[in-house]
Amino acid sequence: MRFAIRYRSEFRYPDPVFESHNLLRACPTTDARQTLLHYEVTTTPAARLHGYRDYWGTRVDAFGVRAPHTSLTIQAEAGVETRPTGPMAVCPRRADLTDPDFVDAHLEFLGRSPHTAWNEALRKEAEQRSASAGDDVVGIVLALHRMVGTSLEYVPGSTQIGVDVNDVLRGRKGVCQDFAHLLVALARSLGIPARYVSGYLFEAGAEGDLPAPVPDGERLAIKTHAWVEVAIPGAGWWGLDPTNRQEVGERHVKIGHGRDYDDVLPLRGVYQGAGAQALEVAVLIRRESGSQQQ
Amino acid sequence: MAPDLFEGYERGPFFDEIFDSEDGVRTHYRSLAERLRGLSPGDLERTERLRDSIFRSRGITFAVYGESQGIERTWPLDLIPRVIPADEWSHVERGLVQRVTALNRFLEDLYAGERAALHDGVVPRWLVQSSAGFVREAHGIPVPRGARCLVSGIDIVRDGDGVYRVLEDNVRTPSGISYVLENRSAMTRVLPVAFAQLRVRPVNHYGSSLLAALRSVAPPSAGDPPRVVVLTPGVYNSAYFEHAFLARQMGVELVEGRDLVVEDHVVCMRTTRGLVRVDVIYKRIDDDFLDPVVFRSGSTLGVPGLLAAARAGNVTISNSVGNGVADDKALYPYLPALIRFYLGEEPILPNVETYLLWEPEQRAAALARLHELVVKPVDASGGYGIVIGPKASEEELAACHKNIEENPRGYIAQEVVALSRHPTLIESGAGAGTARLEGRHIDLRPFVLSGERVEVIPGGLTRVALRRGSLVVNSSQGGGSKDTWVLAQDEEAG
Amino acid sequence: MLSRHAEDLFWAGRYIERADDTARLLDVTYHGLLESPLADAATSWRELLEVLSLEHAFDARHPTVTGAAVSAFLVLDADNPGAITSAVSHARENARNVRERISTELWEAINTFHLELRGRNLREDLERQPYQLYSLVKSRCQAIAGVASETMSRDDGWRFLLLGRMLERAEMTCRLLSVRFGSHASTGLHADVHYWMAVLKSVSAFEAYVKVNRAEIDRTDVLEFLLLSREFPRSVLFCLRASERELARLGAGLQPSRPERLLGRLRADLEFADVHELLEAGLVESLETVQDGIRSAADAVASHFFLGSASPTLHAFEAA
Repeated sequence: MRFAIRYRSEFRYPDPVFESHNLLRACPTTDARQTLLHYEVTTTPAARLHGYRDYWGTRVDAFGVRAPHTSLTIQAEAGVETRPTGPMAVCPRRADLTDPDFVDAHLEFLGRSPHTAWNEALRKEAEQRSASAGDDVVGIVLALHRMVGTSLEYVPGSTQIGVDVNDVLRGRKGVCQDFAHLLVALARSLGIPARYVSGYLFEAGAEGDLPAPVPDGERLAIKTHAWVEVAIPGAGWWGLDPTNRQEVGERHVKIGHGRDYDDVLPLRGVYQGAGAQALEVAVLIRRESGSQQQ
Repeated sequence: MAPDLFEGYERGPFFDEIFDSEDGVRTHYRSLAERLRGLSPGDLERTERLRDSIFRSRGITFAVYGESQGIERTWPLDLIPRVIPADEWSHVERGLVQRVTALNRFLEDLYAGERAALHDGVVPRWLVQSSAGFVREAHGIPVPRGARCLVSGIDIVRDGDGVYRVLEDNVRTPSGISYVLENRSAMTRVLPVAFAQLRVRPVNHYGSSLLAALRSVAPPSAGDPPRVVVLTPGVYNSAYFEHAFLARQMGVELVEGRDLVVEDHVVCMRTTRGLVRVDVIYKRIDDDFLDPVVFRSGSTLGVPGLLAAARAGNVTISNSVGNGVADDKALYPYLPALIRFYLGEEPILPNVETYLLWEPEQRAAALARLHELVVKPVDASGGYGIVIGPKASEEELAACHKNIEENPRGYIAQEVVALSRHPTLIESGAGAGTARLEGRHIDLRPFVLSGERVEVIPGGLTRVALRRGSLVVNSSQGGGSKDTWVLAQDEEAG
Repeated sequence: MLSRHAEDLFWAGRYIERADDTARLLDVTYHGLLESPLADAATSWRELLEVLSLEHAFDARHPTVTGAAVSAFLVLDADNPGAITSAVSHARENARNVRERISTELWEAINTFHLELRGRNLREDLERQPYQLYSLVKSRCQAIAGVASETMSRDDGWRFLLLGRMLERAEMTCRLLSVRFGSHASTGLHADVHYWMAVLKSVSAFEAYVKVNRAEIDRTDVLEFLLLSREFPRSVLFCLRASERELARLGAGLQPSRPERLLGRLRADLEFADVHELLEAGLVESLETVQDGIRSAADAVASHFFLGSASPTLHAFEAA
């Protein structure tokens, strides 16, 4: 599928801000599942951008604004084409997870991180809820995925980033970051490498419902999305979206991954000024007909 | 006839820097020993007083941690210098150049290269990834010439056989060079005759060497000559004296984070005549505080946007961000392998025998003889947290045992090195001028600069454990210092 | 030079001058009351607070105006940023920040003074011998100025130190005139020679004044002397001329900087002013205009030379 994506953040400050420095991670990546066609970032006031790939391979755009300003708009436009993924065709056992080469290659996605620091109770929960899958790694992962998807209710704005992953289950609700962090923590607690993914999701109805180009009113305004990739021995990374209780497919556009939210959060920065700010983030994502006509 | 300073001196079962195993004075110390024998108690007292007044008037002090706030002591310099003959020094020098070259290559590979040492298993990948000093945010920041350890302080000891061994690598922000220069400057004034007799290699070019090294790593877009600044956390930092000293020696501006501003990925300092571009920053603040955009510390010691400016190739930060991974003592045991891997050479200066506590067999072996070993936390410096087995109490050993079992990655264990001893003036308690010579353990911190080439400053900071029998030389824990005299080549024959 | 260093030197100059001026005003108020039987004590002390623009700060903490309360407030009250001890401590802080830029002698002079004040029982001093205390402060501040003058190169650092001192002094003298001429006009005080002697003495101008005007103490002459003298170093015009000169030397280009322009206009207005006209047109208003001008010039100095060197308030944010 081919998508046109527009990410837009708008800051408004009641008092002038004298200096602001920002790091933006909004660029779709290119990997086996998707190809980036074009990408452009503009800011108002204008700023000189410096783009680079970080340690995790995510494209980052760094920029600063030094002139006093009372609003700052960041807009990133991307074109991306996604491909369907094949079914999970391997059937590794838990013992395969302890292969030293496998462990060494995935070490950074096996340990605790600030947002995925599970405790013993959570690990026991993971064991219990996946016991029915026995020794089958794929089965365990699916059980955990189902558990997160059914235990939590998606409530926008219900939590703040920084909620303890061990408390998420008890609260029974969360945003997509909570879903993702919880699944990552559960998988890792059982020795299954898992990473946090930041990206965009095209959430319209079934494929083909929308004519192209889509009229403005049918564009989808969302924020960025988050899901999970787990490493399956013999198969590689497998994407799961616990918020939507589905495997990651053509409608998921990945920006990047990391140990948790902190490694790949879309926009981070500091500014110098009186303090108050109002921030609006909007993502417009439009399905394009390009790929279907080819 | 004045009483001989050396009278009653006990060499002890150690390698003594002045006396050989037959109690004869080593060749390179002969003229100095004669000079010292000629000193009367009155001479000695006058010399000590002169030395103290020099340090006091120059305000050369150091902070002592753990004592009540604001405690500053006058710098303790022993009047008996340490002498290193030219041939010995050239061996040490070659070893240091080799080691620092390998450290630069390793760090460059890790942050801006293919991470070959990890792919080839020279250093375990997990050890690097679990190091608190491994800074992922530094990935891809270019460093001209790959001179990441612009200033290194490599701690060296001599064992019971007089073999020089590396004890510790300090490639984040090694301090102490100001004391080397101040020691020398004081010694030339209090013992001028001794200098006249020996051809001692000078150290006072350090400022210009440091400036040249810093300029040599300026980014390609820098001005000519590149503008260098020293970045300090401010007057309340315990090493502020040294920061100011180095800025003065180089004739460059000493700045704090708030003096710098980043505009379009170019670093400038705020001056009364407007913004002035800065090309190279000799930073003396910790990585974590450098840039609040990246490290999200609430600190205002740093400069927002600094790392992006470095990444864009508009400024060079020295020492490089992320060098802490090489200071991690868990990486130290792999240095010989890294030298072989990157340089294809055998290490010139050996390490001290070290147990890898995360390897089950080695851990078991070490835990069985903890009372004979030295245990060090991998992330501490300044001698803190070290447990010396033979001197530790049962409780200390038990606690150490427990710590290792809970966190084997957090410690290393080493054989106790019988550090060489050096005759040192010790106050007898009967007042000034009544000091006598006793053997005290010493180490050496030479300073190595990486720029256009790797350059070693002759000598370095010789630290002395002033307490009898103590092996702890850190000034923050009651250590003293000696001026270190490296003799020029043609002195060897004499 | 670094903006931060310039700012520290500027403020070191201002704070030392402030401590000096405050001691002078306290001294003259205290002894003026002893010498001038006509004066009302409470009014005099209140006037002093007004000169220093500290009346509101004082009222917030003290129910009544007494000599003892005002003296303590202006000398040693740690909560009063305008107190002598606070000013000296600030000056010392500023000097410490630029320790590398100033001479060791200057640093030691300021540091020793700070430690000396901290080591004294100032309450006891105020009760027993206020004169000695004020003399000590004055002589130390003058010694600091002397040490600075004798040991510092005439570089930009020196200029900012001097600029701070001159602007502070110009403002203080202006305030003094404003308060002295603005009040008691209806009482008999203005005709009282002692009153004007005290005013002159408060800025160490009595002897200099007498040399020019002989011992004829006349309020118009006093005003002219303290406002417009080109020779006396505490007159407003003298201080403004000195400030303007230093600013011109700090300038980089052919165009005068904004602070230089502001100060130049102000100086020109005074240069050709006539005291009789000023008195007729409303002295207090004119003096207020001058004070506003000085303050604008000081603000312009800050924004032109120091902007942004203050510790920034940083706010971190992140957004999904």
